[in-house]
Amino acid sequence: MTRRQRPANRLPARQRVEYRIGPFLVHLETPIHRIVELVHWCYAETIVRAPTTTPVQFNVRVERGPLHRRWLRPQATFHLEDVSPFDPFPADHAFALLEWGLNWSIAIRAHQYLLLHAAVLERDGRALLLPATPGSGKSTLAAALALRGWRLLSDEFGLVDPHSREIHPLPRPIPLKNQSIEVIRAFSAQAQFGPVFPRTRKGDVAHLRPPGDSLRRQDEPARPAWIVFPRYRAGSPLRRAAMTQSHTFARLSQNSFNYRLLGATGFEALAHLVQSCRCWRAEYSDLKDMVAAMSQLPTAPQ
Amino acid sequence: MSLLLGVLRDPRVITQWTLPQWNRLLRETRAQGLSARLSWILEERDLQAACPPAALTELEAQRCIAALKQAQARLELRKLHKALAPLDIPIMLLKGAAYAQAGLRVARGRDFADLDILLPRERLEAAETALETAGWISETTNRYDQRYYRRWMHELPPLHHRTRSFEVDVHHALLPLTGRLRPDPSRIWAASRSLPDAPYRIPCPEDMLLHGAAQVFQDGEIAGQLGGLLDLHQLIGELSAQSGFWERLPVRAEALQLGRPLYYALHFSRALLDTRIPPEVLRAAQAHAPGPLNNRLMDLLVPRVLEPRYPARRPARFAAWLLYLRSHWLRMPPGLLTRHLLRKALRGGKP
Repeated sequence: MTRRQRPANRLPARQRVEYRIGPFLVHLETPIHRIVELVHWCYAETIVRAPTTTPVQFNVRVERGPLHRRWLRPQATFHLEDVSPFDPFPADHAFALLEWGLNWSIAIRAHQYLLLHAAVLERDGRALLLPATPGSGKSTLAAALALRGWRLLSDEFGLVDPHSREIHPLPRPIPLKNQSIEVIRAFSAQAQFGPVFPRTRKGDVAHLRPPGDSLRRQDEPARPAWIVFPRYRAGSPLRRAAMTQSHTFARLSQNSFNYRLLGATGFEALAHLVQSCRCWRAEYSDLKDMVAAMSQLPTAPQ
Repeated sequence: MSLLLGVLRDPRVITQWTLPQWNRLLRETRAQGLSARLSWILEERDLQAACPPAALTELEAQRCIAALKQAQARLELRKLHKALAPLDIPIMLLKGAAYAQAGLRVARGRDFADLDILLPRERLEAAETALETAGWISETTNRYDQRYYRRWMHELPPLHHRTRSFEVDVHHALLPLTGRLRPDPSRIWAASRSLPDAPYRIPCPEDMLLHGAAQVFQDGEIAGQLGGLLDLHQLIGELSAQSGFWERLPVRAEALQLGRPLYYALHFSRALLDTRIPPEVLRAAQAHAPGPLNNRLMDLLVPRVLEPRYPARRPARFAAWLLYLRSHWLRMPPGLLTRHLLRKALRGGKP
């Protein structure tokens, strides 16, 4: 049970903030001021202060739960315009709810891209895709690479532009779970974490702030060069094995949020992506070894 | 007034717009689920350059959903044809499937939840057996629902194939058997056309429009049906280019007992979407207008539930509820309606 610091005998003022996440403009409205503070902390470089010239893609609200739950285990609900897709969360987890809500919003609407469920990082204009599979440790690895000189394009979505064939950045905080939080704290002193949200649906979650450079360069796409399916296995030595293009294609088509929906466009975008990349699977237990190995990936013959 | 209605009335208004208006339009359009259709309407009028690029990208990005549904519908149709062709049972396409197969512009970006087909009533039993053998199953196993559809409705309970999730609605008439208006299906069959490039039939242009009108204003609850009204608006624009369409339409409506739904369709399509209709056709349709009291009431309620209200205003729940009652009133005689609603209420499901 949580106790509130001050009696809530009146509704506090609603706050509004507009910020950019990669190609999208988000307009957030909420009476929960703590969320707005965290948004300012996470997205400082991309908060929109002057009037913009592009329309808002995601009008979202995070609201307090029903009145009878204001004092006893207060709740928060997520709304994308007139739709509320999730059950209420504990109010303390409202920022995590907002981040997951935005993931959902992007996945159901951003069909101008082939949406892969993957972390993406960039070096020298070349993008490395780390597709998510259960237990892959994708977020931990992405966090470690982002703290070792790679530019974080995204932790959750590979936004593949079917026309330009490039991958668009979508830099957002990386939600790290359970032991990963301590692993990354120990990995780098530069890691800036938000509050730990204990016992969410996905365990304890803390958000790693995206590097300022990632946020400032969020309009710079990258050419896909490497696809690595990571797999964390305790005690395993670093092992890297090449994957065939057809196998990679099949696995990525399963991993995409909208591959089927896009039809021929999705097929062509994915085929081209796989053909322009070197593809591996890699098993690791030591994060430092894996980060070093990612820096030595050979590029595809152009 | 709603900005979306403004654009649908005259797409050129967007050339004057500022960003706050675009933001509002996008919210209204998303809430109505009309993004992809709007993107096509803007393209047909060559107005893409007047849109903010991000707005256009977002609208066009939603086209893939309708495209996938239409591809799934085509697959489902091929399978249905394969199951019914050995028995020589003809298939007539209704609504979205008919618009798409006929290559009409109204089908562009038009999403649909299910596939509507019409089969000859006298072949219905044979067709049902054939579909069952081929793997289609009924979505309801509730005995009351099964009886409700079979005895009183104009369609079988929804079907889907056991390996696919696409819903098929098999009709044998255009409107419920218990309803106030009962257009004779044999007349629809007699006037129907065969498609040049596919083994299906589609209703003649007048019947296509009349069926759309009946769906929205006779059989439907009207609320939330802006897409249905847009169908009528676009169909009128496209079908009226054929010579003789306007002369045949009122006559045909009378023959099918669909004068009243046609009156509402023309009246509200013109009032809300500024559809171009010749004055003599409006006068002819006027003969089927309801009494003055009823007419005033419909004029009050229908725009309230069709006009996009989100995000500026709350939904018109009371008007929607009254029109929901009206739709049931038109569907069944009062005694049967009472029993039906009571039964549904006691079961506690959705109405």
